[in-house]
Amino acid sequence: MTRTLLTGNGAAAWGARLAGIDYIPAFPITPQTEIIETIGKWIDKGEMDARMVTLDSEHSMITAAGSAAATGVRVFSATSSQGLLYAMEMLYTVAGWRAPFVLVNVSRGLSAPITLEPDHNDVLAARDSGFLQIHCSTCQEVLDSMLIAYRLAEDERVRLPVIVNLDGFYLSFTREPVEIPEHQAVRDYVGTYDPENTLFRASSPSSQGVAVLGGGPYSYFRYELHLAARNALSVYDEIAGEFADRFGRRHPAIEAWRTDDADIVFVMMGSFATKARAAVERLRDAGWRVGLVRPRLLRPFPAQLLQQLLEGKQGVAVIDQNLSMGLGGVLHSEVASALYGHDRAPKILASFVAGLGGRDIADEEFFEIASVVRQAIQKGEMPPPRLLYTETELREVRKLQAIAHVEYEELRKADVGKVNGRNAGER
Amino acid sequence: MKAASRILGTAFFLEGYEVQDAPRYGAERRGAPIFAFVRASHDPINERGIIRHPDLVVVADDSLVPVPGAGVMSGVDKHTVVLVNSGDSAEIWKQRLNFEGDVYTLPAEAADRAALRFIGAACAGAAARLLGVIRRDTLADAIRQELADLGADVVEVNLAKALAAFDSMQAHEARVTPIKPGSAAQYQPPDWIDLPFEDARAAAPAIHAGATSVEVRTGLWRTLRPVIDHDRCNRCWWVCSTFCPDGAIAVDPDGRPRIDYDHCKGCMICVAQCPPHAISALSEQAAQTAEKAGASE
Amino acid sequence: MSETRTHEPVETGVPSSEAKVTVYRRMKDLPSTHLLGSGTAMCAGCGGLEALHEVYDVIGEKSIFVNAAGCMTLLSVYPFTPFRGSWLYTSMASAPAGAQGVRDALDILLEKKRISTAEDMEVVVLTGDGSAYGMGLSSTSGAIERGLDFLYLCYDNEGYGNTGQQYSGATPHGARTATSKGEHGFAGYKKDLFSIWAAHQPAYVATIIGAEPLDLARKIEQAKRLEGPRLVIALAPCPTGWDFDPKYTVEVGKLAVKTGIWPLKEYVDGRVVHTRIPHERVPVEEYLKLQGRFRHLFEPQRDEALLAEIQARVDAYWAGVSE
Repeated sequence: MTRTLLTGNGAAAWGARLAGIDYIPAFPITPQTEIIETIGKWIDKGEMDARMVTLDSEHSMITAAGSAAATGVRVFSATSSQGLLYAMEMLYTVAGWRAPFVLVNVSRGLSAPITLEPDHNDVLAARDSGFLQIHCSTCQEVLDSMLIAYRLAEDERVRLPVIVNLDGFYLSFTREPVEIPEHQAVRDYVGTYDPENTLFRASSPSSQGVAVLGGGPYSYFRYELHLAARNALSVYDEIAGEFADRFGRRHPAIEAWRTDDADIVFVMMGSFATKARAAVERLRDAGWRVGLVRPRLLRPFPAQLLQQLLEGKQGVAVIDQNLSMGLGGVLHSEVASALYGHDRAPKILASFVAGLGGRDIADEEFFEIASVVRQAIQKGEMPPPRLLYTETELREVRKLQAIAHVEYEELRKADVGKVNGRNAGER
Repeated sequence: MKAASRILGTAFFLEGYEVQDAPRYGAERRGAPIFAFVRASHDPINERGIIRHPDLVVVADDSLVPVPGAGVMSGVDKHTVVLVNSGDSAEIWKQRLNFEGDVYTLPAEAADRAALRFIGAACAGAAARLLGVIRRDTLADAIRQELADLGADVVEVNLAKALAAFDSMQAHEARVTPIKPGSAAQYQPPDWIDLPFEDARAAAPAIHAGATSVEVRTGLWRTLRPVIDHDRCNRCWWVCSTFCPDGAIAVDPDGRPRIDYDHCKGCMICVAQCPPHAISALSEQAAQTAEKAGASE
Repeated sequence: MSETRTHEPVETGVPSSEAKVTVYRRMKDLPSTHLLGSGTAMCAGCGGLEALHEVYDVIGEKSIFVNAAGCMTLLSVYPFTPFRGSWLYTSMASAPAGAQGVRDALDILLEKKRISTAEDMEVVVLTGDGSAYGMGLSSTSGAIERGLDFLYLCYDNEGYGNTGQQYSGATPHGARTATSKGEHGFAGYKKDLFSIWAAHQPAYVATIIGAEPLDLARKIEQAKRLEGPRLVIALAPCPTGWDFDPKYTVEVGKLAVKTGIWPLKEYVDGRVVHTRIPHERVPVEEYLKLQGRFRHLFEPQRDEALLAEIQARVDAYWAGVSE
């Protein structure tokens, strides 16, 4: 066991290496490229006995990942944002094949406009695909989650591919102390790859991924995929429990931080959730009773555990680093659907959208979020959703618009900013 | 059958009905069984999709009846009228189908492939008379409208066949009666289950054996049957066997080609290509009749 | 005239180095029982299925067919499959990438001795022209570039057949398709996929047709002997899409060759070699007039300009082919 400084990408590469992967179909994209470069280097130096192939696109890459897993080897791949979306058709397809493997997504905001820094719209776009999803908030978690993910994917009660998500820049390029577990210990934990249902051998012909016509049969296969994903809830607890026993680090499906006696709870995923944890400490110092709930497992969605953790709380602030255009924060909707109808569900469930494209969330913003929720609790009134944005930021944008020759003054005169006869933003 | 449903749909529409018509099939290829449906009502139609309790079933290709996947008789009850385009009589069909309701037949034409094109119009014509609410002139208008793209000559042939079929059903006019929809106060509950999780070895869309397709009897597609005259066959280099796209001709140890009639689709490539012209084309109907006669001797 | 009986190599005018080592010297060397299962949903008289079943006889069941979306996707519809070997349906654009994954996985399993060599199989990509001439080019190019050891069989019915014969990158000039119904048919020209593939300098490229089974068998046999990327296009006369009675499928195929519209050739060792040079090329009209998709070239009156253009392009091609 070695404790060393690793970037999130480095931790992902180590996770793949320790898991004893056989095959890496690859394609470069910021901010994940360091992962495949690291693995490539290890292979070239003879430190890893695996094969890496660069495909012509991410769509091809995921096809090759699925077909290799379908033939019977342990597969790893990595991508991000535009690449994940380019492969989207194949994410659904390989999950439908029930081909187990692990895909690392290094989250990055989506075009247009094209950007490089993180948010969660990319990985959330895959939430219906059949891939399971684990969201990490530290580099240690990335490495550990890779190992858990292989056990989860390959379990016979699941047999589904898994996405391990880490935020671009804030984890991918950031070094943190990471304990690299000992190789044999990991091998004992992860085991060898058992192809089970998915294999191609000359001696046993099989036709995989065939067309299915008719709503009845099609529904059977799709429902079974969902049931397997639901199985993953209990299987995850088992596997993560075993991980904790062997390696001493606990990674529950949902992390709960100081929630027992909290009145107000933040709900947040990913690396910025550690900022929320820091804010919780400062608020506690200032006399608030605040906690943090951080879903790690997003698919399957751990609804029951979430209900239990939020039961009896007075107010919840869901902080989404994503935006479903025309609806709002995705996590907020999913939490709401899990809580609806339960007796002791919190009456205030507020939505905040922040951190798109890597936009920082200042401490004061967390404190203000807590304030807003407290006022809402006192008034007994649900606050409207808020897109976090400051006057200062808008002023900066105006400067950029000026350089971009946006005829802002002309637009104001032409009342373009008005909606239904009123200025947008008026109530 | 898409044409037939469109003709009927348009005819109803011209008679002032609200209409919903649609075909149901897979890829746009020859030989894939299709069905089409028509709903007509004086009120706006909210129902959608397959018709669970048809008032009238029109069967253009009687070879589909024994095919379970085709579901020709599904949802039929004794109020349903069944019209079959067939060389066999209505009595035979009533027996064969073990069916209490009314069965009528539209005599099938000689099975040359050219005649098949007009089945849709003929079926629509007969159906219109059975329905009793579509007038002869309206039927004609509907045909002209729906088939306009095919050119005047083709339209006229279709018209003639449709009107002949319409006239032939005179004795059974208005036999079709619309069923009352099922009551919500008293209904048979659906047999819902909680689908159990099953291991991926069962629940992944995979086939764990080779060549299971042989269980699909594509021989049912045939309207023409190739028959080998083994006296004329000169056991060349197995032209027929190689050129058959479906691999339905194999050569036995004596060097004689044998046609697998369970799978032969009747494309007639073997007939066209056999160098000594030892293979001839028979109408499938005639061949089946001869077979049955031979069997009962 | 029984010109179907004689297809001796001497006609091709090519040094018959391949003919010496082939097991398919005469028609009687062709298989008399067939591997591909019957009962599939392809149209009666499908020229693509005809080519496939002939190819499968040579390739054998120690194979996996990796398929891209097209008519033949419906060969395997749960629970029915005609393959005695294996099959994997991928997507429309990425069958070669699917083949990459399978081939690499088999190699890994063999290398790490997790399977015996008896479990190995030939990896074959099967696509229509829609995929091969269009969106599949990216993944195919990548596969050839990486030297993937696989066979690619394209059944080319010159249009997006499974969706109703809309025009594709393979549609020939003047053809009527579902999306080119004007009086002169398709305005574009058939893409030269053979040359695109050959420019990658793979191990082998060839054109074949089901109507010429001996030529086909020899080429697949040759392809089997080689390693690396081996790509084959089979012209697939299509009764449904080209609008002719299914019984003419072989005749249309033979005319495609005799008119010179479908050259039978190979690319191997850096050279393009024609395995058949039709002497006294039959006028293209004889081929075109059998097909409803070219009816507008003849009715209501002959489109002399278009017919001449089509003939001229074929003539120009063969003028460039040395004997």
